[in-house]
Amino acid sequence: MTTPADRDLLARHRSEAAVSVELQTPEMTLNIGPQHPSTHGVLRLVATVAGERVVKVEPVMGYMHRGYEKLTEVRTYAQITGLVNRIDWVSGFANEVPFIVAAERLMGVEAPERAQYLRLILTEMFRISNHLIFLCSFPSELGAPTPLMYALRERERVLDLIEGVTGGRFHPNFNRIGGVRPAAGAGAKQRTVSQDLPKGFLQGTRRAMAAVRGVCDDLENLVLGNEIVQQRTIGVGVLPAARAIEYGVSGPNLRASGVAFDLRKVEDYLPYHRFDFDVVSMPHGDAYDRCRVRLEEIRQAVRIIEQALDSLPSGPLQAKVPRVVKVPRGECYVRAENPKGEMGYHLVSGGGRRPYRVKIRSASFCNLSVLPWLLQGVLIPDIIAILGSLDFVLGDVDR
Amino acid sequence: MSEPETPDAAPALPPEAPPSPAARWAALVGSEAWSDAFRTPKVRVPRERWVEAHRALKEHLPFFSWLSAIDWANEVAVGDPVEGGPIEERCEVISRLSDVTAGEGVILSTDLPPDDLRLDSLTGVYGGADWHEREAADMFGIRFEGHPHLVNIYLPDGFQGHPLRKSYPLLSREIKPWPGAVEVAPLPAVEAAPGEPREGGA
Repeated sequence: MTTPADRDLLARHRSEAAVSVELQTPEMTLNIGPQHPSTHGVLRLVATVAGERVVKVEPVMGYMHRGYEKLTEVRTYAQITGLVNRIDWVSGFANEVPFIVAAERLMGVEAPERAQYLRLILTEMFRISNHLIFLCSFPSELGAPTPLMYALRERERVLDLIEGVTGGRFHPNFNRIGGVRPAAGAGAKQRTVSQDLPKGFLQGTRRAMAAVRGVCDDLENLVLGNEIVQQRTIGVGVLPAARAIEYGVSGPNLRASGVAFDLRKVEDYLPYHRFDFDVVSMPHGDAYDRCRVRLEEIRQAVRIIEQALDSLPSGPLQAKVPRVVKVPRGECYVRAENPKGEMGYHLVSGGGRRPYRVKIRSASFCNLSVLPWLLQGVLIPDIIAILGSLDFVLGDVDR
Repeated sequence: MSEPETPDAAPALPPEAPPSPAARWAALVGSEAWSDAFRTPKVRVPRERWVEAHRALKEHLPFFSWLSAIDWANEVAVGDPVEGGPIEERCEVISRLSDVTAGEGVILSTDLPPDDLRLDSLTGVYGGADWHEREAADMFGIRFEGHPHLVNIYLPDGFQGHPLRKSYPLLSREIKPWPGAVEVAPLPAVEAAPGEPREGGA
């Protein structure tokens, strides 16, 4: 039995409910960044939202534009490697390789086999390091900080190996035209004893690779098997293959959309054709598949490194090149499968000691350019899930 | 291209030679000027046929890799000019297309006169051209006609000048000379061998 007082209350509730039904949510502008932990650098997103839905997102970049393309025009070739490995700082070494190969191609120089193998091993190590960073930062952006500890522990072992060979953890600056720098300056202990790989490198690498395999299994359970991660990522941010291709999305993001295309299989900048590895691709194109592709790629990188260690040729590390490097006139484009996708340099030489023009094609720029399309109509919490799953670094976007 | 200053000098294809990739792409876009130097297939198209050429290749090369430009100038504010005499001053716009199966690709290029930097936008053919054209507009001042949203991508609003043009100075060098420059001069105590200047440092 309802009393008049109850009826009053009920009527009031009804009218409030009616108001909230009729209430139009005005479109609102939500500013994300420039300083936001999930932007991997400094990226600002100006999102127009209606309630919980995103209507439109406009990325604002340029906060990290360092003008590398201009700087290459005033630096000699030897100085540029130190510059370009800061483009994508998570995989520094891999940025050097296509640039050096482009310069070598114009000069008609080829690095000795052992140097090429070392380049390949280090590139794959940086791939492992990059993907481990992804597999720990992505869950932490979704709210799970634990995988970070597991992934960083093994990444540290890989970085130690890199440091032993090159002397640098993030920015090795190890490539020279015609080869790699003999590791005389590498690691404090090796400085005087060795001119080549540090002592115990092969064994240490094998052990580290076994540990990386182990952490892959851990992360597979911890991240990919995690029900919350699955709910946040499965079916979220689906990128159809045709859209990805038109926007130049490359690397793991492209392969997660079902396109089994890997530059390591079709280009010859490093002797990948001698090794047996699979191109990992996944069919769905969502954030979860992008995650899975990267985990599988770590396993493939481990396979490549182990095969390369088994067949590591002996010999010199440096081909004969003039003391003053002058690159003949001409232009060429060399691209490489970097951890984040297609990284390429269009090198135009005017015949001098400095390039006339270098166009740097970075993977993250194209991978990010599809973002406004990808974020249309998603829920606000999904912005971070999608952003994180694309695995970009703003240094690689802005250059 | 080994001889960038002669854009229309297409190498004659000997009849017995295997078909070069660049020649194949050139035939598809109806251009005679192509080059395969340094395994970088490159095809030149006139500026009026820029969009049309991309449309013709899209079916074969759906992957839009990048677009940029080269400012060919005789007087440079930074870096070294092209060796071997004056070149024809122009702004060369280049774009790279590739496939996602066999690893083939081609660079399309077109020349704009330095005083008229206008070009039709590719955004109607390849959606991915959007940001690349904004970047080229920032850096070279090329006006892409038909671009939906041609605003600065890197440079702050109201920025004067186009940094990647050869006439644009590197301001940090104007203030302070590059300290690395001392590396390449012969050291005072050591006589450099004739014809082989010393390069210290690395």
